[in-house]
Amino acid sequence: MTYPGIDEIDYKQRLEAAKKLHEAFNKTIEELMRGKSPKLIIPKRTLSNTIYDPERKLLLLGPAKLKRSFTDVNEAKRFMQTVLMARILYESLLNNEYPTIRDLYYRGKYSITYMDLRDRRKKSENTWEEQKESDAAIRDIEVFTGLLREDMLVLSKEKGKLVGRIKLRSGGDVIDASKMGHGAYALESTPDLIDILEVDAEYVLVVEKDAVFQQLHRIKFWDKHKAILITSAGQPDRATRRFVRRLNEEFGLPVYILTDADPYGWYIYSVFKVGSITLSYESERLATPQARFIGVMMTDILTKEEMRNVLARMKNLRKRNLEDILNILRNKPYIDSKERRNVIIKAKEADIKRAEQLKGYTWFKSFRWRLELEAFLRYKIKVEIEALASKGLRFLAEKYIPEKIETGDCID
Amino acid sequence: MSSGGESIEKFRSLSPAEFFYRNREIAGFSNPSRALYQTVRELVENSLDACDNHGILPTVRITVFPENTKENHYRVTVSDNGIGIPPRYVPQAFGKVLFGSKYKLRQTRGTFGLGAKMAILYGQITTGKPVEVRTSPKGSQYSYFFKIMIDIEKNEPIVMERRIMKRKSKRHGTTVSVVVEGDWSRARSRILEYIKRTAMGVPYATITIITPEKEAYKYSRVIRKMPPPPREVKPHPRGVDIEMLKAIIASTKSSTLKDMLKNAFQSIGKKSAEILLEEAGIDPNKDPRKLTLDEITALVSSMRKYNKYRPPRTDALSPLGKDIIEAGLKGVLKPEFAYAVTRKPSSYSGHPFIVEVGVAYGGEVPLSPDKGPILYRFANKIPLLYDEGSDVCWKVVSDANFNWRQYNVKLPDRIAVLVHICSTKIPYKGVGKESIADVPEIEREVRNAVKEAARHLRLYLSKKIRAEEEKRKIMTLVKYVPEVARSLSILSKPPASDGNPVDYESIKSVLMKIIERRARKIDGLNIDLRELIIDVG
Repeated sequence: MTYPGIDEIDYKQRLEAAKKLHEAFNKTIEELMRGKSPKLIIPKRTLSNTIYDPERKLLLLGPAKLKRSFTDVNEAKRFMQTVLMARILYESLLNNEYPTIRDLYYRGKYSITYMDLRDRRKKSENTWEEQKESDAAIRDIEVFTGLLREDMLVLSKEKGKLVGRIKLRSGGDVIDASKMGHGAYALESTPDLIDILEVDAEYVLVVEKDAVFQQLHRIKFWDKHKAILITSAGQPDRATRRFVRRLNEEFGLPVYILTDADPYGWYIYSVFKVGSITLSYESERLATPQARFIGVMMTDILTKEEMRNVLARMKNLRKRNLEDILNILRNKPYIDSKERRNVIIKAKEADIKRAEQLKGYTWFKSFRWRLELEAFLRYKIKVEIEALASKGLRFLAEKYIPEKIETGDCID
Repeated sequence: MSSGGESIEKFRSLSPAEFFYRNREIAGFSNPSRALYQTVRELVENSLDACDNHGILPTVRITVFPENTKENHYRVTVSDNGIGIPPRYVPQAFGKVLFGSKYKLRQTRGTFGLGAKMAILYGQITTGKPVEVRTSPKGSQYSYFFKIMIDIEKNEPIVMERRIMKRKSKRHGTTVSVVVEGDWSRARSRILEYIKRTAMGVPYATITIITPEKEAYKYSRVIRKMPPPPREVKPHPRGVDIEMLKAIIASTKSSTLKDMLKNAFQSIGKKSAEILLEEAGIDPNKDPRKLTLDEITALVSSMRKYNKYRPPRTDALSPLGKDIIEAGLKGVLKPEFAYAVTRKPSSYSGHPFIVEVGVAYGGEVPLSPDKGPILYRFANKIPLLYDEGSDVCWKVVSDANFNWRQYNVKLPDRIAVLVHICSTKIPYKGVGKESIADVPEIEREVRNAVKEAARHLRLYLSKKIRAEEEKRKIMTLVKYVPEVARSLSILSKPPASDGNPVDYESIKSVLMKIIERRARKIDGLNIDLRELIIDVG
């Protein structure tokens, strides 16, 4: 079933993933055949079992495990769903298929018929009703086997885009990402199957917004500044995060993240950097702990007077902190109060709630992040990346970004 | 006690027949609908007594046919397989009010001591038709047929026709047929309900009713056991009343009061007789027939006051018993659970009584109202249909007074309670004799009996809930077996090398064994779980 030269990388990956799946479940089968009631020991994917590791700067899955036993009536259905999903994944690996999670949902969904013990009538029950349930089964298998869905060649919608002086091999083709015209290279669902051939860049710039990415691409920002330009188009998908991580890990490129100055933007940065809370088991492979936040910052637009008000809200400030602030404010504000009137947006109730939540996360407790969050909470305003572009695209490309990189005005 | 009627006659200026004719509402003949119902009832109860009291398993057949549709006349015919009636007694038994075997102290069905005579009287008055009686006494070679009317003024039977026939079969029994003015369409549901409830109380009988629409309802015998026939006992002095004492005086053979008391009552010896008479201020050696009304009143009062009697004897009572009640509930209601309790005898005011309670649950038992279970009341084996709300039994079982939840029953539910009170004197409330009065002793016994039966129901229900829960759990596991077996068998096959894959059937059988280990612990689950599996396609 292999097509040499085309799917060779895929094929190897398939075989390896299938082997791992088989081995993980074979233990359970062997135990069962010895007459033991079958069970799966799976790391818990709960919030309480999500731990921030300050050393590695990663959100990781904690040590708690759950025992999913077939003979436990409350777990029986999920046990069935888990082995059903494992079987479908296994079959599609062996059959050279590339299912999406929606495909997997449909493939596993059918009606189980059985005889009711109480009234001796035929009844039926669906294996699962909503995709939510089949998605949960996929996640269970990921944590149970240590295989991510990408490893099992499960495809998802491509969201991330890339442009820059980088050459890749994907599916047997060599792609030069500096020759994409006005378009860009769409980051495929299986980023580990990409062979990175050549990189001629000094850093990676990840832009939250697709529109800003396009603007920077049109003026060939990446060419002039020797950057690899990537957009996640909102919340980053797994492939984008994995590819950014690979560029950082395999080529030592610094990673800068540019988002809106609001809690959602900051959380996007956080997902790139430490991982997501709900999918903490992937962080180890998807997060980039070295990534830095380049903007947009609240401190980019607030006046010195306003900054003083913000500081007044913060307790436990040391002398060193105050020096830091002077440093930070050297080039600021980038937008004066006259221009500001047109570009700021009032924060909504939900934004404020979210900011309060962020304040509670360990990795947002550094002085610089506290400053950002307190400034936001004090003035309750948001700023979009486009606000900077409104001063002219060149202001963003030629002044704001290079100056920040040069002076190191980034938040870690 | 043929002299009973005469003694009553002495004290009344009306003939008993005339008296009951004038007061027919009391006996339940107030309108055509009620009268038709009462006619069926009196004849059926007579028939059952004719069998019951002689240890014969009753077979009773009832027909109600239109005789004259223009006048709303119906012919009600009831046949039984009882011992029959000696022909010389037939005219008196059917043609003279207050003649009969009922005015004695033992538990019988008749509520008024009138048996069928009130129905005959009513039929005669409304339609002018005589009663027809065909009887084949047990052991006789002949059948006897009579047409009788009652001379109301003289209270004497008029025999219109009499025939004797040689019998071909050995079958014995009596058939009574009367024509009465009735209202079938209104009485129908009452009569059918009455038959149903009667059948519940006598599951050892086969009862068939054929309606004017030619519909037959048959309740077949479900048990061959019968309650022992009640024995006659002398009355207990605590329960005496003036009327009873007068009747005893009229029939006594004793020449002194002292002897009469000793002979006619239980629990009275020579000594207590003397104390009672001294208390009443009457010479113990006086001829009982010479007592004045004042003396009778004084004697009754001293007999009721005295408190050192032994409790009344209970041999006169004929409880149905646990087996018969349970059979009755099962036969008529087809419940999934039935349990009955017969309490020990007890007494109130000198009258012995026994309370029996049966509880039926689930199955085809109809849904009860919110405010209490479906209640089936019986007094001396007769079903009581009316005035349920004012009956002491309803007072006990209604949700307001009985904590059904405590017994795992959440009303409304499919639950019925049968209460049977048997006594030599049922304390009816009011003249209708359809509900039992709040006698504290009876209420207490009923409550204890219901509690006892309900405890068994609770036990059954909690077992059932547990078993259902276990079954549900087993189901949950069994239904996923095919998919789990299929998936694991596919996953057991290594991707590249051959390895040792495990096939679907082996995994399935191991999984089923694990589940069966667990199912074995469930009560009454002796089926092959494999039957429940529908393999994946």
